[in-house]
Amino acid sequence: MPPGLDNLKHIVVLMMENRSFDHMLGSLKAVDARIDGVTGQLANPDTTSALVRPQPLAEFQGQLDPDPDHHFPAVDLQIFGGDTSGNRVATMQGFVKSYFNQRRDIEHSKKIMYYFTQKQLPVLTSLALEFSVFNRWFASIPGPTICNRAFAHYGTSFGRVDMNLLYVNEPFKSIYDRLLSATPKRTAKLYYYDTTSSTMEITNLLQHQPELFGTYQQFLQDCRRGTLPDYCFVEPNYNDHDSDVGEELASDQHPDHNVQAGERFIAQIYMAIKRNPSLWASTALLIVYDEHGGIYDHVVPPECIPDMFTASANDTGTGKEFRFDRLGVRVPAMLVSPWVPKGTVVNRTFDHASIPATVTKWFLGDYSPRSPRESGADVFLEPNVQSVDPARNLLSLSTMRTDCPEFDV
Amino acid sequence: MTLIHVPQPPKSAKNPNRPASSLLKVQIEHLHNAEKRLPLRHRTNTYINAIRTEGEAAEYIREVTEAIHKAHKEAATPRSLDVRKRTKMAVVTGKRRARTRPSGAGKQSSSRRREQKK
Repeated sequence: MPPGLDNLKHIVVLMMENRSFDHMLGSLKAVDARIDGVTGQLANPDTTSALVRPQPLAEFQGQLDPDPDHHFPAVDLQIFGGDTSGNRVATMQGFVKSYFNQRRDIEHSKKIMYYFTQKQLPVLTSLALEFSVFNRWFASIPGPTICNRAFAHYGTSFGRVDMNLLYVNEPFKSIYDRLLSATPKRTAKLYYYDTTSSTMEITNLLQHQPELFGTYQQFLQDCRRGTLPDYCFVEPNYNDHDSDVGEELASDQHPDHNVQAGERFIAQIYMAIKRNPSLWASTALLIVYDEHGGIYDHVVPPECIPDMFTASANDTGTGKEFRFDRLGVRVPAMLVSPWVPKGTVVNRTFDHASIPATVTKWFLGDYSPRSPRESGADVFLEPNVQSVDPARNLLSLSTMRTDCPEFDV
Repeated sequence: MTLIHVPQPPKSAKNPNRPASSLLKVQIEHLHNAEKRLPLRHRTNTYINAIRTEGEAAEYIREVTEAIHKAHKEAATPRSLDVRKRTKMAVVTGKRRARTRPSGAGKQSSSRRREQKK
């Protein structure tokens, strides 16, 4: 058995907010041609039909104001360029037009095409180059935060494409419920930053199972003590506020929060695991973003297995119903572990349903019932069975790396 | 092993007067919905439509999140203590009633009292 899988005891998922792959990692195409990032051939038309090319001019804060629209109708425009015909083709040509709709300023609308340089994002780009970066990790639906995060918790959004209250429909249990009710019992936790930031999963989990939640300080403590649960999901700080320990800067990177604050948070999560040698050797950390935030990406989201729910034409706001048969826009995603070879680039297709799919398969094996979307989702960790497919196993090294970077946080 | 420097964001990055984003507004709505299911003593009685800034949102989010945790913790308090208390009170009440009531006397129904008067 691969020692990386033999040693694996903990899966940690950190989900950040509202940034696209090209926006955050697009610059890495120039460093490693296998990374499907930004090239000089990419462009979007503005409202005068002039072509606007991606440029490395993204700023940490204050640039994307107003917050780019990332609700279903706007994302539909971004993907299909405004084509509403029955046999339309996805072109990813509607981003500048979509952003223009919010401020009616042609020059400002072009900023939706801006991306960060490698130097501006030392943490994210280092982790992408040092470990495993996913060329094809997409949001689960072409829409906003709450439904996309639902796919990470339940493998479905129960037919929702908006930000309204989302009620769980039996029989699909959250990944936490599955683990906690398993025999033998597994451990699972959601760590939010603190009670002032709280969680985005309120209606079902916080309201009915608040005992599932811990704070970021508890996460750090659990890392130090080696008491991290089998599976945990970490949420960043969603708002600027004061706490007992001082000023807390929002670290989710949702526009218009400072992107550098999010870089520090990602580094702190990584270092918390790395500083405990036995935890470092037995943990796989997935860093992913919930959706693209309305920001440009060039890769067409593929079609996928439809979910068993349908969002009505009224709910989508586009005049067309949606059968959850197309993924959302591409987001940054990377898998971190000392057992991952440096410079791994993965081209298989994933979305957030891959999270409960992977965690369930790893800890519970065969399990049902699961949503059609989750059942059809690829897994990012191979089950540790007799015949592990070496082409799919990301934790493939025979000896653990000792050259992994550290951050001064 | 490479040590990579991670710059600190500037002090000016913090802005609690920033208008609350659509995400925070949704979080507030969901918390407000959850708050309605809490016992009255745990509710904040906040008019959420008046929340405009990130700082105001943060305060409400903290209050309701802590209220949810507190309410659940109270509800999870072992009930055996309550049963013991109620049992003890019932015994004490019963003894008091026995001391104040004349021997052999019991509460009579109104129909029996009418019969006795006849």
